[in-house]
Amino acid sequence: MRARNWVGGAALVGLLAGLPPLLHNQYFTGVFIVCAIDGIWAASWDFFSGLTGRENFGHALFIGGGAYAAAFLNGTFGFNPWLSLPAGVAIAVALGLLVGVPTLRLKGPYFALATLASAAIMQQVAINLWQYTGGTEGIYGLDTLFESSLGFYYFVLAVLGATVLVLGVAARSRWGTILRAIRGDETACQAAGVNVTVHKIASLAVSAAFAGLGGALYAQYQQAVTPNDFDVFVSISVIIMAYVGGIGSIWGAALGGILLNLMLELLRGMGEYRLWVYYLILMVVLFFMRGGVVAPLWRRLSGRGA
Amino acid sequence: MLTVLIYGAVTSAILAMLAVGFTLIFGVARILNLAHGAFYALGAYFAYTFTAILKLPLIVAAALSVALVALFGVAMERVLVRPLRQSSLAVLMITLVVALTTEQALFVAFGSQSKNVPAFVNFPIYLHGVSVDGQRLLALVIAVALIGALWLFIQRTRLGSAILAVSQDPEAAQYMGIPANRIFTIVMGLSAALAGAAGVIAAPFLSVRPTMDQTAMITAFSVVIVGGLGSIPGSILAALVIGYSQTIVAFYLNPEWTGTVSLVAILLTLVLRPSGLMGRAVGA
Repeated sequence: MRARNWVGGAALVGLLAGLPPLLHNQYFTGVFIVCAIDGIWAASWDFFSGLTGRENFGHALFIGGGAYAAAFLNGTFGFNPWLSLPAGVAIAVALGLLVGVPTLRLKGPYFALATLASAAIMQQVAINLWQYTGGTEGIYGLDTLFESSLGFYYFVLAVLGATVLVLGVAARSRWGTILRAIRGDETACQAAGVNVTVHKIASLAVSAAFAGLGGALYAQYQQAVTPNDFDVFVSISVIIMAYVGGIGSIWGAALGGILLNLMLELLRGMGEYRLWVYYLILMVVLFFMRGGVVAPLWRRLSGRGA
Repeated sequence: MLTVLIYGAVTSAILAMLAVGFTLIFGVARILNLAHGAFYALGAYFAYTFTAILKLPLIVAAALSVALVALFGVAMERVLVRPLRQSSLAVLMITLVVALTTEQALFVAFGSQSKNVPAFVNFPIYLHGVSVDGQRLLALVIAVALIGALWLFIQRTRLGSAILAVSQDPEAAQYMGIPANRIFTIVMGLSAALAGAAGVIAAPFLSVRPTMDQTAMITAFSVVIVGGLGSIPGSILAALVIGYSQTIVAFYLNPEWTGTVSLVAILLTLVLRPSGLMGRAVGA
């Protein structure tokens, strides 16, 4: 089975790396860049929420935090654009701790609500403090990281690969097992002497770090940020991507992000009906494929049963 | 001062209508219904369609709108939510997608610009020398009446007792011969009707837009958290707290920051008293 996984993975990477230069179209390269960034977001969401079972409804908080960190450093103050990436990570981790520390000790839906609220607060703040943030217009005029968009694409693809690899290895490590055990039975974990709260907060920080990196990349790619980076729509899209990809699988979530983005792109011909059709398709998918699509399908195809 | 008092009461009453339905379905069926805001938006758009486009009499239009929203809620519960009830994440996701689909459907059908819904009462009423928009006052009266009626229904009728029984222990209730599934459907219908009614009566003084469900959803969320998940009196109390805070911020500071009030209230509650004002204690 492992061989088949390696072959499948290599084929996928080959396809993702080979398709944009073959199509040789600026527009499609842009689509693939956004796909790969979405993959980073979905995989990072999956690492915390997929493993521990605490649904984060405000991943946009970390994405937007990373994006605005990049925008302030590079756009407002004119620092080197490469500094944006570590800065995005740092800000996102700080935000993750800020939300995680008070709320992750609670059980129930409170964490979901707190993350939802925090992202919405940040969006409001980004709009209302227009003197500093440019209001709804946002901040623009960021530098690009690469002259050619193909160069940018390969960089983002490499970051996506590294994200999936690092998070995937972490998810299969002892730590990943602990996180999954927390999802299964938190009380039993506590009884076994595991400091549940610390593990949850640490994994949220890791999840936030990669989301912030993705956010900073996105800002540098768009060369602009807007308060929409904090929007509920972003958080929700990320969850849907991970869900369709298969919760807890990391690589499936990343692929879910890529596929859903491509699907949305294919529906572009539908004009204003596009999002409506997209959600209707998602409704059918969520209803009939309860465990998600990508990862479970691969498991079935590669012969490991349903 | 009196103006703030009255406007605050109106805002609180609309919020309470939204929050009570939301907390009711959570308390009874443990469903966090993310489509709750969509019920509210649908109520407002049905009211717009029946009054502004089809020119139906106001009372008929209002009743028809509420009934249709209730039907929508029941259909959603029966068709989409019930088969997925084993997994709370699946329920969250499907209700979320229902909300997004509704929003997009409204966008396609009506466009993104806001619609005006004719007021039921369009003359000002003078209270101690302060002129108050009649529609707002009517909204306040209707909201109080509907919440009061719901309270009496739950406390005084057999069906109400059955709802309470299911909310305490669905399995035990089932053993007593109470059809839990049917109760869930009824409660979802009630909850949808209440949110739809809130949309109908608030529509004339709101900007009716496809995205109105999001603000409504987040505010209802915050009210329910501040009040304590599952507690109806808690929701009402929290609706007053948040409704008045929003009105005071809008009057004395800046209307732009009203949206932030409820969000800050959520965070404060989660940090200081996670079980909410009147909720059951949550395990640490």
